[in-house]
Amino acid sequence: MENIALAEPGAQLSIWALFMQASWVVKLVMIGLLCASVWTWAIIIDKLVAYGRMRLALNRFEQVFWSGQSLEELYRTLADRKTTGMGAIFVAAMREWKKSFEKGAKTPLGLQTRIDKAMDLALTREMEKLEGRLGFLATTGSAAPFIGLFGTVIGIMTSFQAIAGSKNTSLAVVAPGIAEALLATAIGLLAAIPAVIAYNKLSSDASKIAVRMEGFSDEFSAILSRQIDEKVAPKA
Amino acid sequence: MKTGLTTSVILHTAVLAFGLFTLSAPAALPSANVESVAVDIVPMEAMAQTLQGDKKAVMHEKPAPLPTQRPDIVPASQKVGENSVDTDKPITPEAKPKPVDMTSAPPPAPTPKEKPSTEDVPKPQEKPKPIPATEVAPAPAPKQEVKPEPVKQTEPKPTPAKPAPTPPPQDKTAAIDPTPEVKPDAVAEAIAKDPPTEETQLPSSAPAPEARPKPQPAQAESAKAPDRKDAEKPVKEASSKPKSDDKQFNANEISALLDKQKPSGGGAKRSTQQASLGGEKDQGQKLSKSEQGALEDQLGHCWTLPVGLEGSEDFTVVIRFNLDASGKLEGRPTVEKSSGNPQFDASAVRAVQKCDVAGLQVPAGKQDIWSDVRVNFDPRAMLGL
Repeated sequence: MENIALAEPGAQLSIWALFMQASWVVKLVMIGLLCASVWTWAIIIDKLVAYGRMRLALNRFEQVFWSGQSLEELYRTLADRKTTGMGAIFVAAMREWKKSFEKGAKTPLGLQTRIDKAMDLALTREMEKLEGRLGFLATTGSAAPFIGLFGTVIGIMTSFQAIAGSKNTSLAVVAPGIAEALLATAIGLLAAIPAVIAYNKLSSDASKIAVRMEGFSDEFSAILSRQIDEKVAPKA
Repeated sequence: MKTGLTTSVILHTAVLAFGLFTLSAPAALPSANVESVAVDIVPMEAMAQTLQGDKKAVMHEKPAPLPTQRPDIVPASQKVGENSVDTDKPITPEAKPKPVDMTSAPPPAPTPKEKPSTEDVPKPQEKPKPIPATEVAPAPAPKQEVKPEPVKQTEPKPTPAKPAPTPPPQDKTAAIDPTPEVKPDAVAEAIAKDPPTEETQLPSSAPAPEARPKPQPAQAESAKAPDRKDAEKPVKEASSKPKSDDKQFNANEISALLDKQKPSGGGAKRSTQQASLGGEKDQGQKLSKSEQGALEDQLGHCWTLPVGLEGSEDFTVVIRFNLDASGKLEGRPTVEKSSGNPQFDASAVRAVQKCDVAGLQVPAGKQDIWSDVRVNFDPRAMLGL
């Protein structure tokens, strides 16, 4: 109890001073929340950039895909590059197609199923990449206020203990301890609010992209099945 | 991811640095430099029993009202008086009528009786008289100490006029009073009644009053006339005296009997002491401990405990009784809070009554308190048991 020192009345009340006066538990909470905030913003920035690029890539791929260019040529240009999004799905499907025909696949039904599987896989992998780390935003958004509250409760407890020790209840003595404790909640909210907003926006963006990619994969699957029928029919 | 992380870190450090420098200690709330207000806790009793004083004064040992100031007499003032503003009107001395009130009251009295007569009688006859009367009045005034003299003085002057007025009043008074035993006497009564008798009683103070009331023209004129008649018939007054008692109350006299003295009596509440804390008026007084003790001591001497009552010193009874201003018991003492033993209660009541017979000594000036006294009869305290 002796080492719990109350802020002198009229002591520095700047944010830095408040942070330095806090007990180590509260400090830890505050530092943790600050790190969470940093990481949240890192994710937000990263995702915003990634989604932007993804949308751009989808637009460009769709433009190229529907330009009437031969699929073989398109595959040849894309196969060597690192592809994302629709490109990756297209490449996965085309690879399966190629493999099947190189080895002289007999049953078109089996080929169709394999191609679908390959495209699903590619789609899932792409979505994973898109939605990765969004969970952290959700967690921060929901848990940060509680963590901050924890810091506040601990801070207020300590300051009450100190008040009891000093036997002085004047507001000037009580206020700094409570202000310092409330700083933890403030930081918690500071981390949580952007996280929640960003999570909602990013997850909706991701789902839009996913819908778009699913649509493409379905369309491409339809095109490929037509191709398979055309290839199988003349032989038959 | 690296770009995101680095930009986030940079952003945070920037915001924190900005916050550290701009969001430093908020300015302290402006607090007016007001002195703390001292709050006294005052028992309700203190409010209900305040004595006259000054609300803003300091509490002194003795309660004292605000000292009043005698209005300064303006040196340049032409008139000296009690008015707050100087006026050109002559001072109407209020002091003089006062001592004479007793004597001055009667003279107007006869006038009403005469008036009916004067109304009946042709007025011209009476009117000439008043003028001499007023002239005469000042002269007799100083000499009224000896009555016979004014009578003689007044007689010679009015005499010429007298014969005319006297007869008519006699007839009319007779007509007015249907049962006059002796008619001449009745006239005398009607006209003079009290004034002569009072004049005889209070000869020394008479002079002034007669002169003063005159300013009122009509009444004064009529008043003078009777005076002269009074003087003429001093002998009849003696016989009229008993009858005047019967006629003491006359509705016509009411105005004369009214005290016309201005309600300026009494002095200002004045004290030479510094005003003490108190209210605007006396709300109540309390018996001081010593006064209560003195009362209980007196009652203790009158009190005999009932004989043979075991443990009587353990009983206490509260007796309530009323005293008048002189300390005499009013009504019967009542038992306010019984001891539970009727004999014991009765002994206490007897003590009060016994003391009342002997005469309770109570300090004067606190009638309000004496009017309702409660005494706790406790043998241990009052009898030293």
